[in-house]
Amino acid sequence: MPIVTASLAAIIFTAGVISGSLGALLGLGGGVFLVPFLNLVLGFPFTAAAAISLTTVIATSSSVSAGRTGKQLINMRLGMLLEVATAGGSFLGGVTAQFVAQSALQKLFGIVAAVVAVIMLSRLRRRNVILDPSATPGILGGRYYEEESRTTVTYRVKRLPLAVTASFVAGNVSSLLGIGGGIIKVPILNAWCGIPLRAAAATSAFMIGVTATAGALIYYGRGQLEPALAAVAVLGVQLGSWGGMRFGAAASAKWLKILMAFVLFIVSVMMFARGGR
Amino acid sequence: MTPDGRPGSASERLERAVGVVLQAGVTISTVCLAVGAAWALVTGESGAARVLLQTGILVLLLTPVARVVVSIAQYITERDWGFATLTTIVLVELLASAVAALVFKKKL
Repeated sequence: MPIVTASLAAIIFTAGVISGSLGALLGLGGGVFLVPFLNLVLGFPFTAAAAISLTTVIATSSSVSAGRTGKQLINMRLGMLLEVATAGGSFLGGVTAQFVAQSALQKLFGIVAAVVAVIMLSRLRRRNVILDPSATPGILGGRYYEEESRTTVTYRVKRLPLAVTASFVAGNVSSLLGIGGGIIKVPILNAWCGIPLRAAAATSAFMIGVTATAGALIYYGRGQLEPALAAVAVLGVQLGSWGGMRFGAAASAKWLKILMAFVLFIVSVMMFARGGR
Repeated sequence: MTPDGRPGSASERLERAVGVVLQAGVTISTVCLAVGAAWALVTGESGAARVLLQTGILVLLLTPVARVVVSIAQYITERDWGFATLTTIVLVELLASAVAALVFKKKL
C-alpha cells in the first residue's frame, strides 16, 4: 500500500478531476482512465487501483442518479432486475480478483480497454431512436418525456436473456478491473434490447452503484482500499464530472472520442506489456 | 400495479424515495470526505481526520445498500412480491460480498 503524502493526494485529486470530466464528456465512468493511471503511472498494486476506482464509480452513480430521479429516465424495474445479474457477477469478480495474479488482471484490462476503444469509435454518430409513442411498455419497458424532441418515448424490452447475460459480464469485469461496466452493457441494451440510448445509459448508471459496491466491499474488507487516497479521488471525480456535465455541451464529443479511443489503445498496449513480464 | 412511467404511480413514489436516499448519501459522504481530507492536510494524519475519512467512505459504500433496502420496503408496501423478491436477492448478494471480505481477511 502506498504511503499517503500531500503531494500524492494532490496528484490523485487531479487525476480524479481529469478522469471524471472525461467520463462525463464521453458518457462513461472515469474508471477506465483512473485505473491505468494509478497502476501503470503511480505503480499502485492493481487491486489498490481497482478499489479506489470502484469507490469513485459508486460516488458518480449515486450523485448522477440522485439528480435524475423523478424524470422516469431511469427504468427502475429493469434496473432492479438486471442488478441481480450485475451484483452476482461483481461478487464473483471481486472474489476472483483476490486469487489471480496482477499480470492476469493487467492483460484482461488490456483486452477490455481495446474493446471499449472499438465500441467508442463504432458509435461516433449514434443518435436516439424515437419509437412509437402509442406502444404499451409492458412490465419491464418504460416511457419518458424527451425535452429536445418534445415527444414521449415509449419502449418495450426485447431479448431479456441477452440483457441479463450482458449485465452479468459487465458486473464481473467491473469488480475485477475497477471500472463501472456501463460501456459494456449500454451498447447491448441499446442495439439489441430495444432500449433507447438515454434510458439505457441512465438505467446503467443507476445500476452501477450497486454493482461496484458488491466489488468494493470485498476490497474494503480486505484492507485494499486506502481511505485518504479514495477520498481525494472521489472528490476529484465529483468535481470533474460536475464540470464535464456543465460545460460538456460545448465540446465536440466526436473528436474527443477519437482522441480517447487512441489513448485507450495505448493503455491497452501498455497493460499487455506490463502484464506480459 | 402500474408499469414504470405512469404519473401518480407506485414507481413515482419509489423514484422519490430512492432519490432522497442517494442524495443524502452523496451529501453526507462528500462533506465527511472533504472536511476529513482538508483536516488531514492542515493538521497531518490526526485521529479526527481519519474518523471522518473512514465515515465518508463507509457512508459512500453503504448508500447503494440503503437504496436497495428502501426499494425492498417500497415493493413490499405495494405488495409487488416479484420485485420484492428480486431486490432481496440483490441485497443478499451485497451481504455475501461483505461476508466474503471478512472470511478472506482471516484466511488469506
